[in-house]
Amino acid sequence: MSRQTANVVVLGVAGLSLALLWLTPGALAGFLGLIGVALTAYLRPAMAVRAGSLALLALGFTLALSQVPRVSILFYGLVAVLVALITIPGIPRWIKGLLGVAVLLISVPIAGFNNTFFLELGIQIGIYAAMALGLNVVVGMAGLLDLGYAAFFAIGAYTWAIFGSPQAANFLSGSFPLPGNYFYLFMALAIITTAITGLLIGLPALRLRGDYLAIVTLGLGEVVRVLANNLDHPVNFTNGPQGITPVSRPDIGWFHSLMSSVGVELDARTDYQFFFYLLVLVIIGVVVLVNINLGNSRFGRAWIAIREDETAAKAMGIPMLGTKLLAFATGAAFSGAMGVIFAAQRTFVSPESFTLLASITILGMVVLGGMGSIPGVILGAAALTAINTDVLKSFSEYLNNLRQAGVLNLPNQVEPAKYERLVFGVILVLMMIFRPQGLIPERRHQLEIEEAKEAQQ
Amino acid sequence: MSATAVASALEVQSVSKSFGGLKAVNDVSLTVRPGEIFSVIGPNGAGKTTFFNLLTGIYEPDEGSVRFFGKDITGMSPDKVAAQGIGRTFQNIRLFAAMTVLENVLIGHHIHTHSSYLDAMLRTPRHLEAERRAKERAMELLDYMGLARRAGELATSLPYGEQRRLEIARALALEPKLLFLDEPAAGMNPQETDRLKEDVRRLRKELGLTIVLIEHDMSMVMSISDRIAVLEYGSKIAEGLPAEIRTNTRVIEAYLGKGAAGQAGGRA
Repeated sequence: MSRQTANVVVLGVAGLSLALLWLTPGALAGFLGLIGVALTAYLRPAMAVRAGSLALLALGFTLALSQVPRVSILFYGLVAVLVALITIPGIPRWIKGLLGVAVLLISVPIAGFNNTFFLELGIQIGIYAAMALGLNVVVGMAGLLDLGYAAFFAIGAYTWAIFGSPQAANFLSGSFPLPGNYFYLFMALAIITTAITGLLIGLPALRLRGDYLAIVTLGLGEVVRVLANNLDHPVNFTNGPQGITPVSRPDIGWFHSLMSSVGVELDARTDYQFFFYLLVLVIIGVVVLVNINLGNSRFGRAWIAIREDETAAKAMGIPMLGTKLLAFATGAAFSGAMGVIFAAQRTFVSPESFTLLASITILGMVVLGGMGSIPGVILGAAALTAINTDVLKSFSEYLNNLRQAGVLNLPNQVEPAKYERLVFGVILVLMMIFRPQGLIPERRHQLEIEEAKEAQQ
Repeated sequence: MSATAVASALEVQSVSKSFGGLKAVNDVSLTVRPGEIFSVIGPNGAGKTTFFNLLTGIYEPDEGSVRFFGKDITGMSPDKVAAQGIGRTFQNIRLFAAMTVLENVLIGHHIHTHSSYLDAMLRTPRHLEAERRAKERAMELLDYMGLARRAGELATSLPYGEQRRLEIARALALEPKLLFLDEPAAGMNPQETDRLKEDVRRLRKELGLTIVLIEHDMSMVMSISDRIAVLEYGSKIAEGLPAEIRTNTRVIEAYLGKGAAGQAGGRA
């Protein structure tokens, strides 16, 4: 298809989608919008058309969401626009930045104020994305298969949960819970404690290679969960399987006044959600920045060298244990910080959130998105979180409705929400067969090459 | 430290290594002088690469010792050996496939790039300065090996001969005093081999490196080596100047079989 035709088609579809999304908002219009995003990505129209089409579609999804906030395909449309902004080459940086910020700070909040589920989904995606980025350092960059990563998440979460609730009074004198504003201090503390735990766990485990490392981390991950489950006696540290609640949240009076000064009135339903949403966005920004900085430093290069060829890396003077430990501790620290946010946002922590499945899910996000690729890992986190928390449930409801309407005669057992792990497994298997490099593969410098090729056309 | 100890770049004293019942390297001693081009040759399976691995820390010798400019490096881990100033290349090229040519050389410069973890994380001026200097040095080395224009390409996209040269550039980034080259001419065409010979001579002359190489290409070994040691079944059977090795009956037998010495003498 010539570039002219592509331009016309993409703009046409984008314009039509915008009109439909605005006038007849709903799943159908949302679907057309998604097609618009896909066409923009694959037909490779002119740069200005790419940017314009994505802007139109983002506007369309936002308008639609403000009218029908229950239709989640519209929300995924916004996610798709973000993904397209990151992955489509050739759009000037400032446009990418501007449009991305607009979607994250205007579109998503508009959707979220009308339906807080989207804010909740955004927070969950953010927490998992930050953790997946941490695991990306360990698995993606350094190539160390860690199957017990949720342990650090647990340690972070319990660090704040124990002291941010009356729980600590069981074994310490003093007044607990600590005031909510200690939350920030505990984020820093959790980074330190999980990094140290990472070193302690890594010290024996990282002497092993490949499969052995995977098994040992799997075991140590379970140890942490079992400890959380059983440390309710003789001294009650973790309150066992019942978990700890309520966990304090930081004081957000200042946030209320800040928001009303820019004209946003928050109510009790949305204030904390919006606060945590923004907090998670900031953290993701920091985490991405740290990821990029480390990736472009001698440490990141050493990690990749170890992943590529351990023997050659050693022969270049790279100390194995130290370099691997650094990767392990870095990943652990990310996870620990997110644990604190997780505890405060939910106000409830129990061992159930830190099972092997949690570790595998985070690993799945990294693998699905593309090991070593930052946008890939974020996309992987978004995709799996959405599938787990929303898509499968919606699909179950849809089937249920059909069943009740008598259109479909399905046995009760067929309920996708119950088959989370099955669906998850199938997705991973299919990915490994058809796209083992992940959704957005790591492209160390290949993007520039691609852009250079395009420029020559 | 005595004067004689410093007069040797590498002093190997009766090292042995067994794998199960197989004695892969048996009581081998040799001395390499500073600034020398020293070759280790031998028929396939003679234990040359195992011998190299003993010297570079990949294996620990069962017996014997290795001294590098008088310092005992026996049993040191490979990264520590590298940090002493010993660079190496591999028999089967082992470049970092996902990285560019420049990044491969930067890995070699890892231990000379001094920016702390915090500096790197925060991209402080100190970090940027260290990075800039490392890149400058890496580009110099690439330029030296004639690869500067390839800096941004993926290492594995280079033609074979250039990959070999890149391995040498990467080893040079360690700023070594001694370079081990494991079959550097393997798989090269005659032009590439000629270029390699020039490069090796240049490295010694201009950088003052001591070079130890394992090689199969006899014409190359004979023309560039100062001295040669010959291994067979893990033992050293000869050592000497190229002319001596060429006429050594024991060596000719090892390569061509018993009885061949009479006919092949002088033409090996």
